[in-house]
Amino acid sequence: MAHAAGQTIDRWNGGVCPFDAGWRKVMMWWFIVTDGLLFAGFLASYGYARILAFHWPNQSSVFSLPYIAAMTFVLITSSATMASAVDATRRSRLRASLPFVLLTAAGGAIFLGMQAFEWRHLIEAGARLNTNPWGDASFGAYFFLLTGFHGLHVLTGVTVLATTAVRLAKGLSTAEGVEMAGLYWHFVDLVWVFIFTLFYLV
Amino acid sequence: MRIYWITWAVLLAFTVVMLWADGAAIPRAAFLVFMIAAMLTKASIIAGNFMHLRSERAGLVATVVIGLLVTGLVLYVLIAPDAARIHTMVGAQ
Repeated sequence: MAHAAGQTIDRWNGGVCPFDAGWRKVMMWWFIVTDGLLFAGFLASYGYARILAFHWPNQSSVFSLPYIAAMTFVLITSSATMASAVDATRRSRLRASLPFVLLTAAGGAIFLGMQAFEWRHLIEAGARLNTNPWGDASFGAYFFLLTGFHGLHVLTGVTVLATTAVRLAKGLSTAEGVEMAGLYWHFVDLVWVFIFTLFYLV
Repeated sequence: MRIYWITWAVLLAFTVVMLWADGAAIPRAAFLVFMIAAMLTKASIIAGNFMHLRSERAGLVATVVIGLLVTGLVLYVLIAPDAARIHTMVGAQ
């Protein structure tokens, strides 16, 4: 029996740690997968409505694409600053990562402000959950659902980053804590890549 | 740290090219293929370089990537033909 168990461990080559990662990181990845599947469901549902629709609005006439590109720029830049923060902690320079974490949080806050401005603009133009002046009625529902749910994730990310920054300033945060905040933040950026392409461009 | 800013520049370059393609006169099918390829490339660059998935164990990478991609694809592939069928049916009426 012990021999069989030993063989199993050898085959996986990971012993009690098959992914060779701490439980926090593995749990964060599991969360990312499940949350990613939620977004995949939303996007699949959007794809369904899009094929079904006879008059899907032309995005370039509804949105200012340079403005959306600027939002994308802010999010990508914040991802780079977050990666720099994680890199600093990996080099045991926890204090040096603080300015990068703050920059990332600022990027997230700017993105949220830009999104609020975009929402206000579209609502003033007549976009609602069940109707809009440009075409298929479900357009408004998918716009508010996808960008709203993503925006909620950004808001959560900014809160996590602000907490991480305070903990770093007080010397309470660990390198792993910063890395987890980073993983979540990059996931938010990753989801935006799909929304930007599938909702705004295609 | 340099790699992250190179990644940032590459992601920005992809975004600019995608915006250019959006305004260019490209056949719809080619446009869709290009956009989806660019989107998946950007996603893998973020996951690989920013999220350090490249340096993780193969088991973790496979679980995350296959789990997300296959389930996402199954979700869409199962319902898309139904949408197309209803679209054609309603259009014929």
